[in-house]
Amino acid sequence: MKKIIGFLVLLGLLNACEQDFLELTPVSQPNVNAFYKTSNDILNGVNAAYAGLQSGTLYGGRSLQDMTEYRADNIFDNDPSANAGLRFNIDQFLAGAENSVYDDVWRVLYQVIYRCNIVLDNIDNVTMTEALKNRSAGELRFIRALCYFHLVQLWGGVPLTLQAQTTEESRAAVRNTPAEVYAAIEADLVFAGANLPRTYPAADLGRVTSGAAKGLLGKVYLTQKKYPQAVTTLREVVSSGDFALQTTVASVFAPSNEYNKEILFAVRFSTVNTQEAHGLYFGSAIGDFVEASFRSLYSANDARRAMIELRRPTGSQTQTPVKYFEELSAAGQVGTDFPVLRYADVLLMLAEALNEQGYQATGEALTSLNAVRTRAGLPAYTATDLPNQTSFRNAVLLERRLELPLELHRWYDLLRTGQAIEAMKVVKLNIQPFQLLFPIPNSQIQIYNNTAGFPQNPGY
Amino acid sequence: MKLAKMARSMGSSMRLLLAALICLASTALLGQTISGTVTDANTQQPLIGVNVLVKGTTAGAITDLDGRFNLAVPADAAALVFSYVGYITIEEPINGRTLIEVALKEDAASLDEVVVVGYGQLAKKDLSTAVGSARAKDIKDQPVNSVDQAIMGKIAGVRVQQTSGSPGAGISVRVRGIGSITAGNEPLYVIDGVPVSNDNNRASQRSQQYQDQPVNILSTLNPGDIESIQVLKDASAAAIYGSRGSNGVVLITTKKGKIGKPVIAYNGYYGQQEANKLYDMLDAYEWSLINFEGRNNTYKDRFPAGKDTDDNATRARNVTNQPAALIPPEVQPYLTGQTGLTNTDWQNELFRTAPIQSHSLSVSGGTEGFRYYASGEYMDQQGIIISSGFKRYSGRFNMDLKQNRLKVGLNINPTVTQHDLVNSEGPWFDEGVVGLALAISPIWPVYNADGSYNFGANAWGFAMTDFVNPVALAIETQDNMQHLRLLGNAYAEYSILKNLSYRLSFGADINNFRREFFRPSVLEAVGRKGPSVPSGSSSARFTTNWLVENLLNYNVEVGKHNIAAVAGFSSQKETFFRNDITANNFPNDLVTTLNAGQVNTGISFDEAWSLLSGLARVQYNYAGKYYLSAAIRADGSSRFGENNKWGYFPSASAAWRVSGENFLKDNSLISNLKLRASFGQTGNFQIGNYGSIGLLSFDNYLFGNNTITSGLAPSTPSNPDLSWEKTSSVNFGLDFGILKDALYLEVDYYVANTDDLLLNVPVPQASGFNTELRNIGEVQNRGLEVALTLQNRKGDFAWSISGNFATNKNEVISLAPGVPQILTGGGVGTALWITKPGEPIGSYYNPVYDGVFNNQAELDASPKVPNARPGDLRFLDVNGDGRIDFATDRTIQGNYLPDFTLGATLNLEYKGLDFSASMQGVYGHEILHLLRRYNFNQEGNMNLMRGALDRWVSESQPGNGQTNRSNRLQTGSNGQTSNWHLEDGTFTRIRNITLGYTVPRSILEKAKMSNLRAYLSVQNPFTFTNYLGYNPEVNSRPDSALNPGEDYASYPLARTYTFGLNLSF
Repeated sequence: MKKIIGFLVLLGLLNACEQDFLELTPVSQPNVNAFYKTSNDILNGVNAAYAGLQSGTLYGGRSLQDMTEYRADNIFDNDPSANAGLRFNIDQFLAGAENSVYDDVWRVLYQVIYRCNIVLDNIDNVTMTEALKNRSAGELRFIRALCYFHLVQLWGGVPLTLQAQTTEESRAAVRNTPAEVYAAIEADLVFAGANLPRTYPAADLGRVTSGAAKGLLGKVYLTQKKYPQAVTTLREVVSSGDFALQTTVASVFAPSNEYNKEILFAVRFSTVNTQEAHGLYFGSAIGDFVEASFRSLYSANDARRAMIELRRPTGSQTQTPVKYFEELSAAGQVGTDFPVLRYADVLLMLAEALNEQGYQATGEALTSLNAVRTRAGLPAYTATDLPNQTSFRNAVLLERRLELPLELHRWYDLLRTGQAIEAMKVVKLNIQPFQLLFPIPNSQIQIYNNTAGFPQNPGY
Repeated sequence: MKLAKMARSMGSSMRLLLAALICLASTALLGQTISGTVTDANTQQPLIGVNVLVKGTTAGAITDLDGRFNLAVPADAAALVFSYVGYITIEEPINGRTLIEVALKEDAASLDEVVVVGYGQLAKKDLSTAVGSARAKDIKDQPVNSVDQAIMGKIAGVRVQQTSGSPGAGISVRVRGIGSITAGNEPLYVIDGVPVSNDNNRASQRSQQYQDQPVNILSTLNPGDIESIQVLKDASAAAIYGSRGSNGVVLITTKKGKIGKPVIAYNGYYGQQEANKLYDMLDAYEWSLINFEGRNNTYKDRFPAGKDTDDNATRARNVTNQPAALIPPEVQPYLTGQTGLTNTDWQNELFRTAPIQSHSLSVSGGTEGFRYYASGEYMDQQGIIISSGFKRYSGRFNMDLKQNRLKVGLNINPTVTQHDLVNSEGPWFDEGVVGLALAISPIWPVYNADGSYNFGANAWGFAMTDFVNPVALAIETQDNMQHLRLLGNAYAEYSILKNLSYRLSFGADINNFRREFFRPSVLEAVGRKGPSVPSGSSSARFTTNWLVENLLNYNVEVGKHNIAAVAGFSSQKETFFRNDITANNFPNDLVTTLNAGQVNTGISFDEAWSLLSGLARVQYNYAGKYYLSAAIRADGSSRFGENNKWGYFPSASAAWRVSGENFLKDNSLISNLKLRASFGQTGNFQIGNYGSIGLLSFDNYLFGNNTITSGLAPSTPSNPDLSWEKTSSVNFGLDFGILKDALYLEVDYYVANTDDLLLNVPVPQASGFNTELRNIGEVQNRGLEVALTLQNRKGDFAWSISGNFATNKNEVISLAPGVPQILTGGGVGTALWITKPGEPIGSYYNPVYDGVFNNQAELDASPKVPNARPGDLRFLDVNGDGRIDFATDRTIQGNYLPDFTLGATLNLEYKGLDFSASMQGVYGHEILHLLRRYNFNQEGNMNLMRGALDRWVSESQPGNGQTNRSNRLQTGSNGQTSNWHLEDGTFTRIRNITLGYTVPRSILEKAKMSNLRAYLSVQNPFTFTNYLGYNPEVNSRPDSALNPGEDYASYPLARTYTFGLNLSF
């Protein structure tokens, strides 16, 4: 009997320690229950939002390039059989809503937005200095705005989530109007422009500045044809004196001169380890992919022509545009930054906005345009060269094309200026107006399963 | 038998008294004394404890340590009856003899055979649930490195698949279909009572895109140490293992010493292995023609006026910047018919005939109070791919000590296994050597004239894909894994009361893996000429799993009522630690450990799970006719969410042994008839360790002067409701024996519903996540299993045939609301699998092609992809909307689950000769042969299967009308995964043929030997299949239920010829 009692006592003891025995929290991975409590947690959350932009789907690789560069008239996909035409079909306007590249870009953009939202939701519950709190919020809102800006230009109205949602809340979401999305983008960038510092200590180089926020805000205004606001905002960037053109185009992209004064914001990479590096941008092992009609636009003495020539790193079969050239690391990678916004773009946007406000023969618009043009080694335009608003508009657009190819601007420029359909005819693609927007990924249409609140874009 | 049982269960004083009484009774009726020896007809070993009875009386004796008996029999006695558990009972007429030598045969369908059922054991005749079993004799003579390979096709409803021939890996076991979509489908393994972790992926994995086949957790066990394997198939039998029982439970029992003098046994074999099948590939001349043709078509697609005879300069002028339109100069000599050029058979270069051998030595024996079994084994299997292999050094010590009321036992099994690995499981672009050997052009030699490796196929140019010489990769890459395992348990059992005992047991399973990888400079980097910068990695895994169990056993017989009850609780915990380090920039190849290079990543990682359980079971039978049992287990686990910590798993079963009733008792035809029914609930807790807790992952960024700055972001959402998957199953069974069980039939029908399925439910990506893990959805498996044994013996000739048939229908009943289907990709994005209600898990879901477009008129008349041309594949407009859209024009095209499986074994014995043959058949499954993307695409870029010669060339030369035209840069989306890539996997395989000879006992005795047998065996001698690849059971991702059955290059299976020896003293 004693033994049975002993047995029961043992059983009781084991039950008592049950709670501890069965409550195992992850050892090697932090979990959400214990996170977003300290200012260091918030900083980690902010850094992860930046890191989201490094994704191979966004600035670290090919997919966003497919939807903005290969789609447009500067370059083409020269490997139609690769992946059964997955990317080729985007270039050729053949891809439907099932194309997995669309899925990837949509997913990762929203993933970065979520990373911003969840930190923004928690930031007010954390004890940290007001300055750091505002800075962090500004960085996150800039990154969120950048993602929504891509979404709205690629797809039109998209669901607008400015707070982390439960999956149930998310299922009930509908597509907001483009105007609602733009309003949110503007609010984010106005906040970021007002709250971010103009510069950072050297150790924080690469964080979003107020200038970067204003530069992007200027672009958002310009895209919506809000010319007076665009001019005001872009002038603030110019007059801040925080940014300047590099003396040569090549030095803007030199791996030894990263994050120079011309860069408002770039997504940073380095071969310091494999996770922070990327493969050759626009790499191809089977020949040229630059449209002849585009290359021929460069005059012989245009310094920018060399930037789109293809170069082969030592020992590699793959060629990459000189703009992004770097020798390969041991792991076969490169660490060149991807410029999101640079000062040449700001000057050209300012010129465009001023011209749209009203044509002036000389003045700020022309000097801004010429600053970019002469840096490339070309003669400055005179009022005689550009006698009216239309010729000036076309000159700015051409200059943007020559200055900013392979930087993900061309498709958006064509959309903004309403020239996409005509421009694509030059590369023998007769596209329909509905094709100016991409189809919402099929997977998402199926999940929302709400034709009224979450319709597919027309034509698809 | 009954006497012995009673005697054992009584006190020793009682026993003495009883023995004396029997003795007295016997001598009172004394007529004559008969003595003799009883041996095993097969091994010729003496049998100890055989019941010898005078027919028609209760007078009897039991054989002693040497198998001898001495029995006083009445003068009128006619015959002696010899009976022994697991052997066929025989009647031997006395015919006036006083010395009787008897050899007993093992009974293939023995109903007295003890079956281990988890926390207890039963005689087979008392079973009321579905349990499949295999014994030592079923697994012997096979040159396999793990016991699960030996039971392939032997147990109905247990599908053991060899998904890859990689030594020590590539085995997957499925009991009664697949019940889970995203959690694991591997059964629970219980080795000598210790449930071991069934997570296959505990071994070191290298971070490559296409993973190695999981290391087989049974590959550390010496198959020769195994006494029996039982598979608990229905939920009622498995429910005693609660939240781990859903996928079935495999109970492995190792050998114990038998009472008797020490037996020293040697078992060994030596054999040669070769690839049991090769691809039929083009040779260099044939390939060159297609290369030429493919480039001509690429050229003429772009420049219709071009001619095949145009030289490269002309081509380059007409089509600028298109190297795919040029003819590589290395190919040109083959086109002119020049003879004697390099013509490499790369498969032949990569594969070899490789030896396999195993030697094990055991000593066993014991007394009533102490029994022991000790063994040591060395196994060495060189792989049929050069520079691969598997070695095992294993030891085992089992002992049981008994004194008065206390029993103490110990099983220890230390093992070292060494895996010499090659990257065989992946396509060419992942440096898989098998995929590379099939892809690389046969115009390149393996070696240059100076003996160095030829790397001509790398950075070749001319839009030729870059391939690093696979022979060089296999030989020069160093990739070794060492696995240390200590598996053991110890118990103490104390008889508290006559019928009540308490058992405390401890179990431990400790695993340590270490893997070192080095890719030297002599191997070129893909696409880059010249020596590469060496890189290496080092990884370690350490898993500790321990178990404490407390059990109370109660057994009682009151009249015809028999009750056996067990209750107890157990706790188990596993901790898992890993680290992975990679380095590059090694200055040279002299030192290959990572200290010589620059470490660029280093990870260490810790995980754990725990399980606390209570269990109880009562088994009752009345007079061996009516059986009832009920059990329940409660499991609490750290893996389950806050709101669902504990699960309860009940089960019940009943059986009626009709043949025990009076009206059948002495039926001359029907020797056994039993009806069984059972019900039970089990769970599947293979849901990941921290699935309920939202996790954060590191995603770092660069600030300042490219300084890495840490970032953390949520990677999984939280789900406090997360719990086990639940399977409820019913099983109906019939056991039927006629003519003293010369024919024995077992039939089982079952229906198993798994609900609360763990699903990664897709969520709107705008939520920041792709999917969310939830318990939702239901899957049903239902099936029929038939096992049949026929046996007979006539004089010296004995034969038996056992066969089994199993069919299982798998059907998804429901998924999550708002999730009409789950589409899953595989090795390539254009291949899809669909899982949706009404269909089995993971059906192939791809576009349909129907021949090729023969001419422009056909092309014009059909819906087609935009750039299709004559000679391209004709895809069907499945939804009839007049256009080809690969998102919607798809249909379900079969799946990897077989319609039915067969297994059969034939045994023949005549005097000392024995012969056995076993076959296995799997019917009606399809395989997505993705290698056809490369080796049957007619691009002329990689080498091609012979079928490429049947391609469309022109309208007048349409080939077989099914094969697309040759074209380096294809048009018509021929590469889109479709039924062009799907093949029937049906196969019938002769698994093993063995011929053995046992030297007669009379000769052996002179040599002081007790047994000597020699045999020849062939493993996998014949496979009958239409599948074009190596292995019709291949599966690139055996752990994934959603996208099974893909062949993207894998280690071929071996055919093995062996000579073996069994020897004992």
